[in-house]
Amino acid sequence: MIEARSLCKKFERSVRKGRRSVKEEFLAVDHISLEAHPGEIVGILGPNGAGKTTLLRMLGMLMTPTEGSVRLNLPDGSQIEDLTRKKAAIGYLSGNTKLYPRFSIREYLKFLGELYGFDREKIKERTEEIFRILDMESFGDNRIEKLSTGQMQRASIARCLMADPAFYILDEPTLGLDILSADAIIHFMQEQKEKGKTVLYSTHYLEEAEFLCDRIYMLRDGKIIAAGSPAQLMEQTGTGSLREAFHVLYV
Amino acid sequence: MNKIKILVRKEIMDILRDRKTLIMMVVVPVLLYPLLIIGMALVFGRIAQSQEEKVYTVGYSAEYEDTVSRLRELYQEDKENDDGEGGLVFVAYPGERTSQKEAGQLSFEMFSGEDMPDILLNITEKNGAEHIVVMYNSTENDSESAMYEAEDLLELYCEELLDDRLAEEGLTEEFLHPVTFESEDQASESESFGMSIGGSIGMMLVITILLGAIYPAIDATAGEKERGTLETLLTLPVTNFQMILSKYISVSLFACATAIISLLSLGGSVLFLIFGVAGEILKDMPHISPVVLTAAVPGILLTMISTALLATAACMCFCVFARSFKEANNYVTPVLFVIMFASMAGMIPAVKFDHVTAMIPFVNVSLMIRQITAWQFVPALAGTTILVNLGYSVLVVYVLAHIYDSENVLFSDGFAGFALFRRRSEIKKGTVPAPGDLLIGITVLLLLLLYVGSAVSVRAGFWGTMASQFLIFAVPLFMVWYLKSDVRTLFSLRRPRRGTILGSILLYLGAYCLMICVGAVFMKLLPGSTENLETSFGPVLDQPFPVILLVIAAMPAVGEEILFRGLLFGSLRTRMSDRKAILISAAVFAAFHMSLVKLIPTFMLGAVFACILSGTGSLYVTSCLHFLNNAVSMAVSKYPEQAGKFLPFLVKEELEVPEQLILLAVGAGLALAGAALLGRNTGKRKRAGV
Repeated sequence: MIEARSLCKKFERSVRKGRRSVKEEFLAVDHISLEAHPGEIVGILGPNGAGKTTLLRMLGMLMTPTEGSVRLNLPDGSQIEDLTRKKAAIGYLSGNTKLYPRFSIREYLKFLGELYGFDREKIKERTEEIFRILDMESFGDNRIEKLSTGQMQRASIARCLMADPAFYILDEPTLGLDILSADAIIHFMQEQKEKGKTVLYSTHYLEEAEFLCDRIYMLRDGKIIAAGSPAQLMEQTGTGSLREAFHVLYV
Repeated sequence: MNKIKILVRKEIMDILRDRKTLIMMVVVPVLLYPLLIIGMALVFGRIAQSQEEKVYTVGYSAEYEDTVSRLRELYQEDKENDDGEGGLVFVAYPGERTSQKEAGQLSFEMFSGEDMPDILLNITEKNGAEHIVVMYNSTENDSESAMYEAEDLLELYCEELLDDRLAEEGLTEEFLHPVTFESEDQASESESFGMSIGGSIGMMLVITILLGAIYPAIDATAGEKERGTLETLLTLPVTNFQMILSKYISVSLFACATAIISLLSLGGSVLFLIFGVAGEILKDMPHISPVVLTAAVPGILLTMISTALLATAACMCFCVFARSFKEANNYVTPVLFVIMFASMAGMIPAVKFDHVTAMIPFVNVSLMIRQITAWQFVPALAGTTILVNLGYSVLVVYVLAHIYDSENVLFSDGFAGFALFRRRSEIKKGTVPAPGDLLIGITVLLLLLLYVGSAVSVRAGFWGTMASQFLIFAVPLFMVWYLKSDVRTLFSLRRPRRGTILGSILLYLGAYCLMICVGAVFMKLLPGSTENLETSFGPVLDQPFPVILLVIAAMPAVGEEILFRGLLFGSLRTRMSDRKAILISAAVFAAFHMSLVKLIPTFMLGAVFACILSGTGSLYVTSCLHFLNNAVSMAVSKYPEQAGKFLPFLVKEELEVPEQLILLAVGAGLALAGAALLGRNTGKRKRAGV
């Protein structure tokens, strides 16, 4: 389970006061607490600048919270304390997590496997398995810079899968993808959910979230303004779809 | 360690797959030196040869045929031993061409196109003697070459006439030269060769190392951000320190490889040249001790490697702030210029390689290579250079690791963490300088003092020294003004706390005794290194004592206290424990004084002053004690005899062991008593909640 308690992240921004530009601090994430359980897909929704990426970066251990804490509990109930072990337990994917263009996918997975402490045999087995699952055998030895957008996205998923993490944090994973590539990602998330993994993901595609998510947190100005299952959110707002609920909450 | 190894392998593989890196690392050094050295030698040789074969026309007025025919004969005799086919060809011009001008005088305006001679000889009479004017055009190469050839000929002509006159009078040449003199250069051919080209070799090697380091440094830092792989890297189960260390190791390996390739390429090119002049150079080789040679080769190699490590760390420190290649290039270009400027030191004969210059990065390597190419090798200086460069590298890598740990640097505008890079209008009142601001401020000050301060001191003597001392005030004051810091709080400009003065004085006196003991040990370990210690104040020592007190005792005391205790310690203590801030400020204070022999004593002094500031809460106390410290040193330098009567251990060149033991005991006693007194009063106040 991923458990965030009163997470805050403070940044500085320039604000114009009359003719002068002044730096002021603001909370990009303002005391957010949330939970994501095993076998659950949890959506983080909100307009641009709501604090989704910052929140996911803190949950993914890429950023240190100004206040608050993130706890990772494994299905056996044990809690992970060490930062590098926490990172190893999370598969983090975003539009900014590009792959090394001068490597082939196989070389990159080998590098990851070595970092996770796998032996040579396990690296080979795991790579072949991932290639089979994601149907990557035909381009697994190509340099990443030569891949198409869809192939690149599958390579990114392969990166996340390598350590077989217990938690997946995906920041707008279907953004800008064609229908087939986006479907592959959606299928991947559903598969992980079925395997009992915890999936937290942000998106702007409301229909996708309505169909995919077990629970949703809606963010505005770094705060949670609504939480619940898609059905609960629709009920709360008296609307018939998540898109309508979104409009009621934000407009 | 295993993770770092994996990361290093990944970085190396990634960098190696970029062809531009390989070009910079291998192709540039392999081709650059042979092209520069051999190519230029061949080109200049060819130019010289073609000039020997060239025919220059010398125009003269036909009226002076007698003089010129003698010149022609002399020239033919002189040329008989010369293999060259070219030379001067004399062409007479009839009288009518000279009608517009003074009779018998030619000028270039009278000629045009191909008709134009290279030079003109105008012969007149002056004070009863022949006066020959060689007219030439300095913008034309041929004309200038012809002029030099004609001047040589005229000298011969002059000597011949003089010999004739002396013979007529029955005199010998000794009559004209009652005293003969000549200067004899005692330097061997190999030494002169080394001194003349050694300086530029050092600079060229440093530049090649930089070329080898810069590209991988940018690729591993800004390139990572630009490609969007940094965030991916951050998701891996490694710490930021492991990440940056592996990047540093990889880039350093490339820089070192470039250094070695450059050295081999340069060595090959120079050997090629040496064999061209082998007769002169190799003659001296048997006189060179094999010990010197065997020590020099690993010496150069180690120096180049330590320089590569430092250059890499320096480049990466700037590149990590950039978000793109273009931005990184902009940041690293000034660094490149500063390093190039420093490495030009070897080309300035006046800059000597000693224990002071051995402490200055990049200057030291340039001077050391100049010395080694002159077949001189001083192991102590080479060792200092290597150790100093390694020490600076460790320091810069430490800074780099801290920079890389910042989310500002990794996720947003790299310079957001530096208040100095913001517009002043955006800075809040009472801002305390961040470590990045302090680093920039102190580095800028150090560079100003090294380059501007030294130059001004040398040129303007006393006033120059005063001006360079003024810089120590100016930089911290500018920083606190720009950052709108609360000067009173930051600099601790308050009255000392009650009951802390005596403890402070005792602590300082105790530390002073201990410093003398430590200093004596270092002087024994590094003989000869003390000679340069006082030279920076040389122009002022002749001044009256009150002036010395002002310029060397008072100004540095106040300036350095404002800088190291006020700005540095005052800022650091807001972000870390007093103990850590004391150690860091003392280390910077010691490094700033750039003296290996004084390194530990200066560190002790810095630590003691920071402790006193922490205890008394007043910069006035530390400034007074610092002034006292400087004043005693100056009094001893100015009046050694009188000082020796009162405090003999201050003027003695070497302290006996019993004297050292006494000083050690007295120092330790005083320091402990002072620390106890200061600590008691501080403790009381803390308990009282003051």
